[in-house]
Amino acid sequence: MTNKEVLHDETPDTSPEKAPAFSGGKFDQLFVNLGPQHPSTHGVLRVGLTIEGEVITKAEPDIGYLHRGTCKLAEARGYHQCVVLTDRWDYVSAMPNNLALCLAAEKLLGAEIPARAQHLRVIMCELNRIASHLLFVGTYGIDLGALTPFLHVFREREMILDLYEMLCGARLTYNYIRIGGVMSDVSPEWAAKTREFLGFFKPRLKEYDDLLSFNPIFLARAEGVGIVSKETAIDWGLSGPNLRGSGVPYDVRKSDPYSGYEKFDFEVPLGKTGSCWDRYYCRVLEMVQSARIVEQALDALPAGDLTAKGVAKTPKPPPGEAYAHVEASRGDLGIYLVSDGGPAPYRLHVRAPSFVNLAILQEMLVGRKVADVIAVLGSIDIVLGETDR
Amino acid sequence: MNISALLDEAAAKVPGVLPSSVLVKDYPTLRLGSPAYLLPLASFLKEKGFTYLEIITAVDWLGPVSPEGYPRGGRNPNPLQESEPPMAAPAKNPAVPYKPVFDLLWCLADIDAKARVFLRLEVPRENPVVPSLTGLFKAADWQERETFDLLGIRFEGHPNLAKILTPEFLKGHPLRKDYAHVKDKYDE
Repeated sequence: MTNKEVLHDETPDTSPEKAPAFSGGKFDQLFVNLGPQHPSTHGVLRVGLTIEGEVITKAEPDIGYLHRGTCKLAEARGYHQCVVLTDRWDYVSAMPNNLALCLAAEKLLGAEIPARAQHLRVIMCELNRIASHLLFVGTYGIDLGALTPFLHVFREREMILDLYEMLCGARLTYNYIRIGGVMSDVSPEWAAKTREFLGFFKPRLKEYDDLLSFNPIFLARAEGVGIVSKETAIDWGLSGPNLRGSGVPYDVRKSDPYSGYEKFDFEVPLGKTGSCWDRYYCRVLEMVQSARIVEQALDALPAGDLTAKGVAKTPKPPPGEAYAHVEASRGDLGIYLVSDGGPAPYRLHVRAPSFVNLAILQEMLVGRKVADVIAVLGSIDIVLGETDR
Repeated sequence: MNISALLDEAAAKVPGVLPSSVLVKDYPTLRLGSPAYLLPLASFLKEKGFTYLEIITAVDWLGPVSPEGYPRGGRNPNPLQESEPPMAAPAKNPAVPYKPVFDLLWCLADIDAKARVFLRLEVPRENPVVPSLTGLFKAADWQERETFDLLGIRFEGHPNLAKILTPEFLKGHPLRKDYAHVKDKYDE
């Protein structure tokens, strides 16, 4: 029999009854390492997967590759110097990190922040949320095989980074929000450019919907995959869009308002089923709300000081402890800060949203197919700089 | 829901639970008398709606303390050498009061009522063990592992209390105040 005859003999029977039987109908267990160097783990994350055939029976995320010990480093630095460390946690959205530490330190110091600085903080954090979610939309598209949206969202993200560069000289690690206020004022040109950006950005959301959100291939990969119920999400302590994707209306900006968020009119988008697509679309809708907040804050930007009176160059807060948390782009970022009256914090603890969110991966992946790992992992949207600190 | 009434109810129901003398600023804080009260109190609060475990962490209070419990003078005047056990610290500075304890901190939140409460518990620095909350909140899993890794507090009942952030070869617990770095292959 020649090869040609084999190939053209007859069409193969693909019915399940004719499928070749494996030993006892069971697959052997296989251990697969995903990462630590893998394009879809978004950094140095390793996931140890035990699989049977295509089905995952056990998943063990392994983190710590990027652990720099920032909490320990903070114990040997002045409070202002600690703000620099916060930039390196969630490096794709560093403004909320700055803000969380400053809020905790200001609580200890009892500083009153001027209204203009409060508004500027809100503007910067919300622009950062847009930039961070844009990055998510782009990389999640890539994870699931759609390369084009990445180029579109990066066009917009570049504009925000240019705004930041104009504002404070840095594109990622800003160190803009300082204890007591903010680093510098915004110029009228900056405000005009920001409005120009918002005018450009808002119509783009329809583009993302057409290109990615309601693309049938994307829906097939993300909808109904990795479903997390309300109760499970709360039990695992998820926060941010991961929690809201499951329909839990928890947003620190609403539940424990800070920096005057109670003055702004915005909604908290919620998902319905808690699938990967719900988490994804929550982020898309959040960008709309962030743009609304930025507009309102720009319209109502009050005149006045940029820094609080009486914050020293080397602050020595009175002994005490404070907890402050903010709604960072990835969720509830909490800072627990203890002062012993000295020039450096006695103890700094970070509740990093990526760290807490990632833990659920152990449960979410079990019983799913290998191809879903990327869809599920991508939808949690972690930044390894923050999980490992 | 009235938060202070609820905390009074908790204090009445679980003995050995008192309002903490030092508060985490702006938040209600309860102090537990002993580790045995943690699980009853946490399950009581969970029933009452505090279903969201926000943080678990601890502070190492090794050092001379002021009457409020904070280390005096900022830093330990006679720090321990590498080989000395932590309990040797008070003997080295006999003139100052010491508090060789870990102060553990939990934060539970009620999402609907927009309330949160802090629980704290002191455990001795030598062989610190507390019950694990993993049975009540899955969010405790990694946060307890982190506290174990960085401060060396063991959580009894945790299904997989392994290191999480620091590498396997690292000796000791970096966030302890008497942590001394042992040279490894990554030091030149």
